Amino acid sequence: MEFLERNKTVVAFISFTLFCIISLSVQSSSFTLTFEGIGSALIMPFQKGYDGIQGGIRTIWAGFTDLSEVREELHKTRVKLQNYESISDDFSEIKRENERLRHLLEMKERLTFESVPASIISKDPDNWFRTLIINRGTSDGIKENMPVIAFRKGQKAVVGKIIEARGSISRIIPIISPDLNVGVKLQESRYPGLLYGYSSNTALCKVDYISRGAVIKKNDIVITSGQGGIFPPGLLVGRVIKSDILESSAYQRAVVVPFIDYHLVEEVFVIKRDPDGEILKLLGEQQ
Amino acid sequence: MIVSYIIMGIVIAASLLIQGHPSFDVIRIAGVKPDMLFIVIVYLSYSFGSFTGEVTGFIGGLFHDVVSRSPLGLLALPKVVLGFLIGMFGRGMFKNTIVTVAIMLFLASLLKGIITLFLAYIFHQGSISQVLDVILPESFYNALMAPFIFILLDKIFERELEREGHL
Repeated sequence: MEFLERNKTVVAFISFTLFCIISLSVQSSSFTLTFEGIGSALIMPFQKGYDGIQGGIRTIWAGFTDLSEVREELHKTRVKLQNYESISDDFSEIKRENERLRHLLEMKERLTFESVPASIISKDPDNWFRTLIINRGTSDGIKENMPVIAFRKGQKAVVGKIIEARGSISRIIPIISPDLNVGVKLQESRYPGLLYGYSSNTALCKVDYISRGAVIKKNDIVITSGQGGIFPPGLLVGRVIKSDILESSAYQRAVVVPFIDYHLVEEVFVIKRDPDGEILKLLGEQQ
Repeated sequence: MIVSYIIMGIVIAASLLIQGHPSFDVIRIAGVKPDMLFIVIVYLSYSFGSFTGEVTGFIGGLFHDVVSRSPLGLLALPKVVLGFLIGMFGRGMFKNTIVTVAIMLFLASLLKGIITLFLAYIFHQGSISQVLDVILPESFYNALMAPFIFILLDKIFERELEREGHL
């Protein structure tokens, strides 16, 4: 006992080091998961509370400063509404015609999915990983592998997918993470590719495995292909800013800037869509 | 003494919460943000010795692992090692000036990054490109921020520093 007391610094150092190394070695064991669960349960209420206080202060401040902007916005919105009302008749006619043409072509009606709105309460505090934590969890029906989208200028675009769901919080891996692969295609030329994060410190993505025959232009729109069983087809992902033909590869690569800025995103929607179990099982077996 | 531990706990929790809050992303430079928790741990180790440094490094590091996507221990172990090493030298060897603090934090962050990369390579997934993407920019940023955080922490721990004979 006296020895431990005298050498407590070295003993503690060895114990902590061993704990960390053992923990890293047995990550898949239930012990580690349970410990992380306890840790999450301890720290998340503080994160939520902190976010709530900050949100409250921001709201009160915005009430003072944004009043004139809101008045101006209201005026603009009224003008816009009048315009929309005038075109609504044309729109319903176009919609009917679209439905008729779809029917003629025997195309399936594009499915719409139920979604859950959520706020981002925390971002990964470390520079090594890129994740977002939202204030919705399994109690709201959220499950792992559900796609997450956000709106930008009235259009919905991909943010990422759920990788961890707990009671009232979930973790999202964004498309800018090098650990997430998404099946995509170029909207105009329809050439497919595989999208993933460019690097650990940029908010860009790259699309690999695009056929060398594809003509890629700057500002080409990239959308989800629907392959992979997680993301529905046709969701906006980003636009091309650069393309490279790799000498040593049979494919070419495009660098893409996502429509949703990882640094600015605050509100997201989780699409309550169960992933294609068969595809995920197949991918899991391959890995 | 208990009050000191409570203050240390609050400072660590606050640094982790601020660092994880979405609004903290605004201060990213070259895609990275400073590791506030690590700066606090280096300060505690530098001011109060190896034992305090490694204990706060271990506890803070575990919470950092929990709120991050990293496997448990990946971010904690480098903090334990640096908490131990810096405490061995402490204020006795490095005088508390802006230049020494900045250099100390730069070197400590560099070593922390190398240990993290090594562990990530073995237990998770690591790429050598992260030296340029993460480790170097984060080390510079930490070195830049550290003198200001040290001044702030000197005020918070004024009574404890007096008791230790550093003031």
